Amino acid sequence: MSQQILLSVGSFGLALIGMLLLSALLLVVAWSGSFARARALSLLEEWLSPEQRACYERFRYFDVIGSDTGTRYRVHHGTQTNIEELSHSGQRVCKWCFVPEGNLVAADVMLAQKIALETNERGALSVAHRSFVSR
Amino acid sequence: MASQIVMDRTGDTRHMFDKQDRAEVAKAEQRFKELTGAGFTAAVRSGPGEQRIIRSFDPTAEETLFYPRLVGGRRR
Repeated sequence: MSQQILLSVGSFGLALIGMLLLSALLLVVAWSGSFARARALSLLEEWLSPEQRACYERFRYFDVIGSDTGTRYRVHHGTQTNIEELSHSGQRVCKWCFVPEGNLVAADVMLAQKIALETNERGALSVAHRSFVSR
Repeated sequence: MASQIVMDRTGDTRHMFDKQDRAEVAKAEQRFKELTGAGFTAAVRSGPGEQRIIRSFDPTAEETLFYPRLVGGRRR
């Protein structure tokens, strides 16, 4: 009888320790994710022009001008199909998707997209997927 | 101190070096070669919101940003 009690207490203790460890692990993962996002956001804001920064802070997107064609692109917060090509009148022409390798957080992806479009537009679009599907 | 900022899953990793220290500059140049050789693009800021791509190590750059090779994203 006492053995059964000891076994039950032991099992409960082990389960409790397991749950605590799992919670701690989840907290660490969540913390490192939010740390990465904050770090990347800070870097993005440093590299944006004052106009782009103001626009991003207000609308969660910013515009860039393609280095080769002068086309305007709107880079939305995100990591997938988050770039709109705009016409002269500001209408969406299509969407583009290209990202840096490595499963980066959104702000890092957006910064790489900005630099690529502003310095090597054709090179960036040559690897991108184009989409005409509406949002 | 100059810095090399490498985008990664933690946001970025920063490598600081003293531009007056030959050994540190040589190490930074080696890092530049390794990263660009691995497909990273190197960019330096040339003004507010402006940047230029560099293909070779610039020992005078205060801040060099490296981002990984670009690939097409998910098709929708």
